[in-house]
Amino acid sequence: MFLYYIRLSLLSYKRNPILSSLMVLAIAIGVGAYMVIFTLNYYMGGDPIPHKSSQLYHVQFDYGDPAIADFEPPPQLTYIDATALLRATAGHPRTASSKFVSVMEPPGDELRPFYVNGRGNSSDFFAMFDVPFQYGAGWDRRADDTQQQVIVLSDELNERLFGGADSVGQNVVLDGLNFTVSGVLGAWSPAPKFYDVNNNSFEPIEEAYIPWSLVVGQEMQRAGNTNCWKAFEGNSFQAFLNAECAWIQFWVELNTADEQAQYLDFINNYAAEQKQLGRMPMQIEKRLYDVNEWLAYNEVQPDETRILTALATMLLAVCLLNTVGLLLSKFLGKSSEIGVRMALGANRGSLFIQHVIEAGVIGAIGGILGLGVAALGLEGIKVLLDDLIVTDWMQLNLTVAFITVALAIVSTIVAGIYPIWRACNVNPASHLKTQ
Amino acid sequence: MLQMNQINKVFLTEMVETHALKDFSLQVLEGEFVTITGPSGCGKTTFLNIAGLLETFSNGQYLLDGEDVSRLSDFQRAKVRNEKIGFIFQSFNLMPDLNLFDNVDVPLRYRGVRAADRRTRIEKALDSVGLLSRKNHLPSQLSGGQQQRVAIARALVGEPRFLLADEPTGNLDSNTATGVMELLHEINAAGTTIVMVTHDPSLATQSHRNIHILDGQVKSDNINQVQAA
Repeated sequence: MFLYYIRLSLLSYKRNPILSSLMVLAIAIGVGAYMVIFTLNYYMGGDPIPHKSSQLYHVQFDYGDPAIADFEPPPQLTYIDATALLRATAGHPRTASSKFVSVMEPPGDELRPFYVNGRGNSSDFFAMFDVPFQYGAGWDRRADDTQQQVIVLSDELNERLFGGADSVGQNVVLDGLNFTVSGVLGAWSPAPKFYDVNNNSFEPIEEAYIPWSLVVGQEMQRAGNTNCWKAFEGNSFQAFLNAECAWIQFWVELNTADEQAQYLDFINNYAAEQKQLGRMPMQIEKRLYDVNEWLAYNEVQPDETRILTALATMLLAVCLLNTVGLLLSKFLGKSSEIGVRMALGANRGSLFIQHVIEAGVIGAIGGILGLGVAALGLEGIKVLLDDLIVTDWMQLNLTVAFITVALAIVSTIVAGIYPIWRACNVNPASHLKTQ
Repeated sequence: MLQMNQINKVFLTEMVETHALKDFSLQVLEGEFVTITGPSGCGKTTFLNIAGLLETFSNGQYLLDGEDVSRLSDFQRAKVRNEKIGFIFQSFNLMPDLNLFDNVDVPLRYRGVRAADRRTRIEKALDSVGLLSRKNHLPSQLSGGQQQRVAIARALVGEPRFLLADEPTGNLDSNTATGVMELLHEINAAGTTIVMVTHDPSLATQSHRNIHILDGQVKSDNINQVQAA
């Protein structure tokens, strides 16, 4: 009977093409708009590195000054603590990292020097975060320790400097220093950019990567947030490094529950020692966060998406209310047919199922059209936000497409319950004489 | 076959209480061809709807094929309609989107008959009304008389024991009406009990019995001599 009912539904669509198409349009717009926002939420609230997110941990300490009202412990580490952790946790993959801005002097005379956004990071960074390479690789810990002048280029920067060719072994000049290219990244656009959520969590990845020790050693121009809670003496770079200023992200990879427990003990003991030395006067409840905990703690998902979700839900509700009216009109217009079917042996239950399926078919067509609306909406958002954030992830995948069509079908059936109930409760006798 | 005892049907609105049937009693025997006549509003159609289990009644007793159908559920009533009763309407009531084959198919779908059996029975029913060659046509492509023949095929495809016809020739010209009446007589001769509501006195004389209803009650119940002979 299911296929029979599907066929009847399509015939019914053909009988009232305008009314049916209006319903399909209403559902497509409502569901399409909702799915645009759903897609944004789905990715913004999603796990950017699902296979490892419970093994990568960010460290936070009890920074701040209780005397400063409403001071929130900053999410980054000071140079003192970052270097201490790098030394003390060398047994685990770990990375300190921070952003910098510097001038790139292209090889040859064709291009003029330009600014690049860069990242100083430890060598483990690439393996820890599963960063893909199309050419070459990162560097090793020895390069970290010796401040070796090696550089990894993003795909985009390599395209700009070398036309996309394999540039491993080539030299580039950054910040007045000669660097040898050790690798070129493949396509990589984590969203959110979980390893550094301090500024825009959805901004594109950095264009150049060098050993973090060099950023410090060469006193390169830092970028990103710096939070200080204690005045420091002198204006030298060394004075800044020794100061209570947090500006470094520190991640460690802990693969087993034992490692995680031992590391937490270590971190807690370290914090206790520092407190005895008069540092870390605040008291925080948690010092180790995995990726998803860290994203939640930093409220990476913007408030605007919640407002947009509410608006999209309201639009969907309005479209569905409209659909209720249209379905009521359509199904009450079928009273005579329902009366005839009852006379021929249909019970109200089977008529109810027939019309639920008819509503479902309308919903499915609306859902398929809604996919187009959603794709169009996402393209529009991409155009608007392309310069501000990474937009590669803004696309309909199979999961989102399935959810869109399912949402359209379920919501149309829900909208159809009352019209169907009304239509199936007609008195058949009163419609047989007058058809 | 059909026995109604002291049936009452009252339609209530906010202002008016209308007695469509009052202490209505009637018996139709198996194999009979009974016509029901009476002026407009006398209760003919109400009787037919109650007889076809499309309408409930206020009180009384209704036995169909020996079974008391007064208190059946919606599901049970639908099953009885599907298996025992065939309907023919004045305005044919064919479904405009479905071709003749699919129109005749409807009662069998609700009975859950297998596809191969359905095809055989539908083609046999359409053949019996002379329209098998047009099984893929839509109702709108047929004349009124042909549409009524399709409606008869649809009523017969489930092999009901009891056929209810509500002015089946009311929308047809006299020649076509004669053809339809001949078809109904053939069906009756094959053993199907027929109860037919009509306004036409000449058709009323072509049945075994003619029952005249007035103000919701049986006023006369006459055996037609010609038919009886």
